[in-house]
Amino acid sequence: MITPRNILRHELIGLDVLVARASNPDHTGVRGLIVDETRNMLTIRTSQGVKHIPKKYSVFRLQLPDATTIEVDGSALVMQPDKRISMRIKKER
Amino acid sequence: MAKRKPRRSEVKKIAKERIGLLLRMAEECCRTDPALSNRYVEIARRISMRHRVRINWYLRRRFCRHCHHFFVQGVNVRVRIHRGRVVVTCRRCGHQSRYPVVMSHPR
Repeated sequence: MITPRNILRHELIGLDVLVARASNPDHTGVRGLIVDETRNMLTIRTSQGVKHIPKKYSVFRLQLPDATTIEVDGSALVMQPDKRISMRIKKER
Repeated sequence: MAKRKPRRSEVKKIAKERIGLLLRMAEECCRTDPALSNRYVEIARRISMRHRVRINWYLRRRFCRHCHHFFVQGVNVRVRIHRGRVVVTCRRCGHQSRYPVVMSHPR
């Protein structure tokens, strides 16, 4: 189950997402379904077409399958999707 | 601020869930976007290999073992029964897989 605790490690493909903040103003407000993921980018299918958004400079608001919404800093997600499962997560004090 | 490595059991659990999710999504889009479903197979296989997690048998049969393309019934696969075995032929690469018709694996 995808929970806020394991979101950094779990599957992002198939989740609804909104780009809440991004250093590129053209990227903010992009809303849709994540269809693909690479090391640095998320591919999002929106009503305006398919958009590629870099992870590093964006903050994503994801809606999990159990309807909770969580905001994730994209720079914490920069990693190949299969490697993300066993990533080491820095514990913030 | 220590970097925490995840427990091995948690890694395997998440890997299994992700593989199941990806292959289920591959099935949903296999007719509308076959390239995308093949991509999901690729990611699922990578997760399986990197974290040493087996893909379950009923998911393993959904794509070609040779060329790793997702099977779309009627389009890129030929399914026949011959002598008590199901013969699945990938139309793309010609690779054949055979399974016994009756399987008593627990689901």
